[in-house]
Amino acid sequence: MKLKIISALGLGVVLGLGHPAWAQDDYSSLNQLNSRLQTVARNSAAELQSLTKTEGGKDIWMLRLGKGDHRNKPAIAVTGGVEGYHLLGVELAVQFAEKLIQENEGLLDNTTFYIFPNMSPDAYEQYFSSVKYERRGNAAQIDHDRDGRVSEDHYDDLNKDGMITMMRIESPMGDHKVSSENDLLMTKADRSKGERGTHLYMMEGVDRDKDGQFNEDPEEGIAFNKNLTYKFPAFEPLAGDIPVSQPETRALLDFLFEHNNIFAFVTFGPANNLSSPLSYNAGDAKKRVVTSMLEKDVELNKMISSIYNETTSLDAYRQDNKGTDGDFFQWAYFHFGRLSFSTPGWWIPEMKKEDNGNYKSQESNFMAWAEDKGLEDVFVDWTAVEHPDFQGQKVEVGGIKPFVMHNPPMDMVPEIAGEHKDFIIKLAELQPSLEFHNLKAEKLNNGLTRVTVDLYNNSPLPTHTEMGERSRWLQKIRIDSNKDKDDLVSGDKIKLVDSLGAFEKKTLSYIVKGSGTFEVRAGAPHTGIATLEVKL
Amino acid sequence: MMKMKKYICALAAGALFSISAPIKVDAQEKFFRAIGTPHRPKVEVAWNRYYTYEGINEVMRKIADAHPDLARMESIGKSYEGRDIYLLTVSDFKTGDPDRKPAMYIDGNIHSNEIQGAEFSLYTAWYLTEMFDDLDFIKELLQDKTFYIVPTINPDARNNYMLEANTAHSPRSGMIVLDNDGDGEAGEDGFDDLNEDGHITMMIRKSPTGRYIKDQRDPRKLIMVSAEEKGEYEMLGYEGIDRDGDGQVNEDGIGYYDPNRDWGWNWQPTYVQRGAYKYPFSLPENRAVMEFVMDHPNIAGAQSYHNYGGMILRGPGAEEDKDTYNREDVRIYDAIAKKGEEIIPGYRYLVVYKDMYSVFGGELDWFYGGRGVYTYSNELMTSYLYFHKNAGRGNQDEEMAVDRYLTFGDAFVDWDEYDHPQFGKIEIGGFKKNFGRAHPGFLLEQDAHRNMAFTIYHAYHTPKLSVMDVKEKDLGRGMREITATIYNERLMPTHSSQDLKHNIERPDYVTLQGPKVVAGMVVENEDFNKVEEQVNNPDRIAVKNIPGMEAIKVRWVVSGGGKYSIDVDSAKGGKASWSSDQKR
Repeated sequence: MKLKIISALGLGVVLGLGHPAWAQDDYSSLNQLNSRLQTVARNSAAELQSLTKTEGGKDIWMLRLGKGDHRNKPAIAVTGGVEGYHLLGVELAVQFAEKLIQENEGLLDNTTFYIFPNMSPDAYEQYFSSVKYERRGNAAQIDHDRDGRVSEDHYDDLNKDGMITMMRIESPMGDHKVSSENDLLMTKADRSKGERGTHLYMMEGVDRDKDGQFNEDPEEGIAFNKNLTYKFPAFEPLAGDIPVSQPETRALLDFLFEHNNIFAFVTFGPANNLSSPLSYNAGDAKKRVVTSMLEKDVELNKMISSIYNETTSLDAYRQDNKGTDGDFFQWAYFHFGRLSFSTPGWWIPEMKKEDNGNYKSQESNFMAWAEDKGLEDVFVDWTAVEHPDFQGQKVEVGGIKPFVMHNPPMDMVPEIAGEHKDFIIKLAELQPSLEFHNLKAEKLNNGLTRVTVDLYNNSPLPTHTEMGERSRWLQKIRIDSNKDKDDLVSGDKIKLVDSLGAFEKKTLSYIVKGSGTFEVRAGAPHTGIATLEVKL
Repeated sequence: MMKMKKYICALAAGALFSISAPIKVDAQEKFFRAIGTPHRPKVEVAWNRYYTYEGINEVMRKIADAHPDLARMESIGKSYEGRDIYLLTVSDFKTGDPDRKPAMYIDGNIHSNEIQGAEFSLYTAWYLTEMFDDLDFIKELLQDKTFYIVPTINPDARNNYMLEANTAHSPRSGMIVLDNDGDGEAGEDGFDDLNEDGHITMMIRKSPTGRYIKDQRDPRKLIMVSAEEKGEYEMLGYEGIDRDGDGQVNEDGIGYYDPNRDWGWNWQPTYVQRGAYKYPFSLPENRAVMEFVMDHPNIAGAQSYHNYGGMILRGPGAEEDKDTYNREDVRIYDAIAKKGEEIIPGYRYLVVYKDMYSVFGGELDWFYGGRGVYTYSNELMTSYLYFHKNAGRGNQDEEMAVDRYLTFGDAFVDWDEYDHPQFGKIEIGGFKKNFGRAHPGFLLEQDAHRNMAFTIYHAYHTPKLSVMDVKEKDLGRGMREITATIYNERLMPTHSSQDLKHNIERPDYVTLQGPKVVAGMVVENEDFNKVEEQVNNPDRIAVKNIPGMEAIKVRWVVSGGGKYSIDVDSAKGGKASWSSDQKR
């Protein structure tokens, strides 16, 4: 019943726009996303589940794509919307699901996918609201500046253009000046070189609580990508007092802890360890609190990075975010022991100045790119406003529009989504894969049979990351035989193996009493289960 | 119970004289007051035994019913198995909202086998309510302060420890059953009470290659032979069988996780910190405590009870947190705990990471690091209490002597033969689960009282604010300058320095009501008129902190005459007020 209504709605949206969803011209609203997810969920290999509702009353969706005994097949978790301003990440996660189910459904025979398309729906909605700004926090009521008053100094849309940009105030006390690379932009004066600033430069707003600081206690709440346990930045704005404090964070982690078949994470967010891998630091890796990816895992990261770079077309440029405190992608590795990969999916490509040099600032690089692409709607021209805190001073509002530096125009998205789908499929094809080879069954005297067989991980990935071997949340490889202990003259009824490396084998040997069928089962949910039957 | 109460009420109302007289005579004839203990308490409790979860609740209920103006009982949440986690609020309810008084939080039994923290907590609630009418000190304490007391924050596994077969060390976690051996099954091979005596003791077996013999002087005792000697017995570990056929015994029972590795200050996952669960407060019992504490910013001091070893512990738990505890706060910690060492003989004041082990995610670290609350964990019970010697934890010789001369065989299960399905003929025996960590009954009340006295000292030194002095100066043209001195007459500041570092709690507010305020300021040095003006809302001055045993001064410039009052409002320091009507 519910499904029917929603699908009817979905149809309505498509008709209303006059073109199908894949030719959309802007990012999808939450309602549009919901109906697209419902559409995918009509496939019998899909299941859509709301894990919880956020403080703002929005669903946190989990879309499972998988067939048969899907909980015992190696799985990849694909997560979008770890930052509310990164609409592209949500779009990539949803298009991955849409494309996979249309074009590569056969992959689901071997691999399960858990897709969490949007972890920041409260913040995501800001893109569609009457005052747009790059929002990270959810709808929780938080006292970011910890002064005893909640959200008393929010941004203000002074020029009433429906978005929060920057403001500049002419003042010899300012530490910014007009950029030499682009006279629309402001840059910080280098006082160490004797430069003078001409302007104060800050986010658009009024010092509502008259404490001398601007916009330090905004209305947004906790940022998902700052609320996880790895290097949790306690008491910082948007992080809160304790990690995993929000319903969406808890619901996601509770789900993940219950799904031990996940072997890898692909997260669409600001951090990037796919264009180039994380680096290894022996000192940090050997401390009790580990803050460097472990050595063997860096090698895996390198291998996957090279596949990513072969599969995607955009060259890395200024991709130096290797994770931030309390974020999700690092949590998945450092605190959950899984392979974890993150990419923004898209970034501003490298542009050259007339002298063939690089732009010093990312903003001027962006402006050059926008001009090159013929994008006209990316900048708010500086316009003078009256400002209560700077009476008699020249105050102007303007600057690069929110969202445009992180989210490309929609016409670029299908290609990006296609490349990232291809990458995730390649990652899935590398998943750990346990197989039995070289079976030998030798009859000994008096009804005894010696069975030897190689258990082989036919994959360039080990069954466990080096970090995963340390984690209790990643199951060991368990090898079970169906015979009673009394019928096993040698060999274990249950045997646990910590891990099998890439293309590594382990020889198993049993001496079995009696006749009938001897069965061996080996694996773990995240490696898949291999089975062997021997007629004695 | 209800009927009984009604009956007494009716009697009391109907025949007051006749009912009270005989009891009084009884007391005079049968009992003589011992100093330090409630005489003829309204709630009779035996303090030489332990209580199950149900038993604890019953005593709590009786205390709350007998002292409705001093104690109330509430559930702060549910355990994993659905039991209510009950808390008693103890304060003089007639002298202000208990949630606005400086408060002391006390809990016990976070480790399920460390049981006596519950009785010690309960004793505290009982003593305070029963002594309120007798002692001026206690009366004033409960007028000023609030005690939040949660006897057990691990009710599920407390009952499992008591009612099911266990060792002295199990379950320790709560009742969530996890996969401990990594085989994909949870809790498939726990202990087995083979001799069905309610205790998990040891299994030994005669063996030509064994390295132990029974001591000839006391055959209960197994001693290791010297390197060149031949032994008679081998140790097979705790009572159990290999239930899942993997060749190991007792490798996957209840838990295992450690509820005291679950708290949200510098929390670390299980591969760094064994015992951590999924994420901070992923255990429902701890989450209930956390939510209560977040809702009660008046909590200024906290105590958690563990066992054992006779320790008053403060953080940091982890060496990596060394810099969290700075000198100003350590000074307060030291002052209170050193008094504790005097109050509780045999207990030593120690720092967790230095003197025990370096550990992340402990309750005391979250209370202090995350909330800025001065917090101790006491390791209750020390072998010092047996013979006033420092024989240390688990000293077999001393324990055998205790059981011989003090408990007369009550503490030990004598070795007895048993046919084990996997090991063959074995013997089972050893110390009972309720010996060693738990106090024997005759030591329980005294140690409860002493530990309570320590928490009372701690609670006493939460901040106490008063408006000490108000001065007026005429500035001419109808303007006055009013200067108020706010004094904190206890050791603790209104904000610990950890609190100040992160602005955990809001500032203290000093508000002038009445005249029109033209300017407001904090006076940093009155003698030389060093002031810091507060431009916004000058009638309500925000003070960052009021240090212990010190005073701060605030000043207003006001226009016009008339009466005025001054209100002090501090989250952890409570409220104080002054009015020009009551001017001396």
